[in-house]
Amino acid sequence: ARTTEDTARLLQYVRFQSRNFENILTWGSGPDSTPDTVYSVEYKRYGEKEWLAKAGCQRTTQKYCNLTMETGNLTELYYAQVTAVSPGRKHDSKKTDRFSSLQHTTIKPPDVTCIPKVRSIQMLIHPTFTPIRSEDGHQLTLEEIFRDLFYHLELRVNHTYQMHLEGKQREYEFLGLTPDTEFLGAITILAPMWSKESAPYMCRVKTLPDRTW
Amino acid sequence: FGPCRVEGVVLSELWEAFWAAKSTVQNQDDITSVRLLKPQILQDVSDAESCYLVHSLLKFYLNTVFKNYHSKIAKFKTLKSFSSLANNFLVIASKLQPSKDKDMLSISESAHRRFMLFCRAFKQMDTEAALVKAFGEVDILLTWMQKFYQL
Repeated sequence: ARTTEDTARLLQYVRFQSRNFENILTWGSGPDSTPDTVYSVEYKRYGEKEWLAKAGCQRTTQKYCNLTMETGNLTELYYAQVTAVSPGRKHDSKKTDRFSSLQHTTIKPPDVTCIPKVRSIQMLIHPTFTPIRSEDGHQLTLEEIFRDLFYHLELRVNHTYQMHLEGKQREYEFLGLTPDTEFLGAITILAPMWSKESAPYMCRVKTLPDRTW
Repeated sequence: FGPCRVEGVVLSELWEAFWAAKSTVQNQDDITSVRLLKPQILQDVSDAESCYLVHSLLKFYLNTVFKNYHSKIAKFKTLKSFSSLANNFLVIASKLQPSKDKDMLSISESAHRRFMLFCRAFKQMDTEAALVKAFGEVDILLTWMQKFYQL
């Protein structure tokens, strides 16, 4: 029997995009959608009955919604659902796969300061804070969340020769370099237990000229 | 897991096995309002208690979930994941030796009460649906097990 509203293909690819625990729900319009199709977002914890409406993402024409605060408990799993309504009483509704930010988040490149000296290059890796808060309310860093996290640093000297450093600390120095020479650094974050690896942060640095006589 | 030591477990292998089947299995589970491994079952588990609880859960997964889920595998094309998970669970479970000392009785009983919460939730469901849901919750189990993993 025809319902008061017709189901139509107004939605596709309803999914979470998560980077450093910033969890954004995104979706695409479907073949039947029109520019004045509006979308409403709901979310819930896996295991709970009630769907909760996300304020700020009701009857909106945008195709994304920030659910970072609503999906911030690392031990919980979540679902989100988008309902689309188009003029002419057409509607469509799709939900995400079960979402766990611990499993799904990807790690952004680290923030690094590369400091050239005459015969060395120092690399200072800054802590990466996430939106996740601990029980006492402080913002957690990636290091606090992923116990096995470590850094891998590579310095390209020339086409055939690279230097490597690796560890959990945040300060490193490549020594024994030629003065007044350009080098390319690449610094990556790894969390092997979760099979996570960031894209590299790249820095191109030139060692200082040697002015000693 | 507290007093019980299990060596040679490569957790990322377990994860990769599960992730290969995750979407297929979890999308077979339409009952999003029920969670078998509820937070209160796995929260604040002491090291000493963890050995008893993980042993009970792994045995249940081997003897009930994986054993009966076997018939669905061909349909869902998840055999490789399934075998890898089952074999790893078997190795871990066989290496776990929960202590039978009398002074550990209260701890083992606490673990048993947690495990019974899980079993009750499982039995309250239709068996087929419960099997699919339990398999789909392996990621919850692995996330909890990982807390006890020493680097």
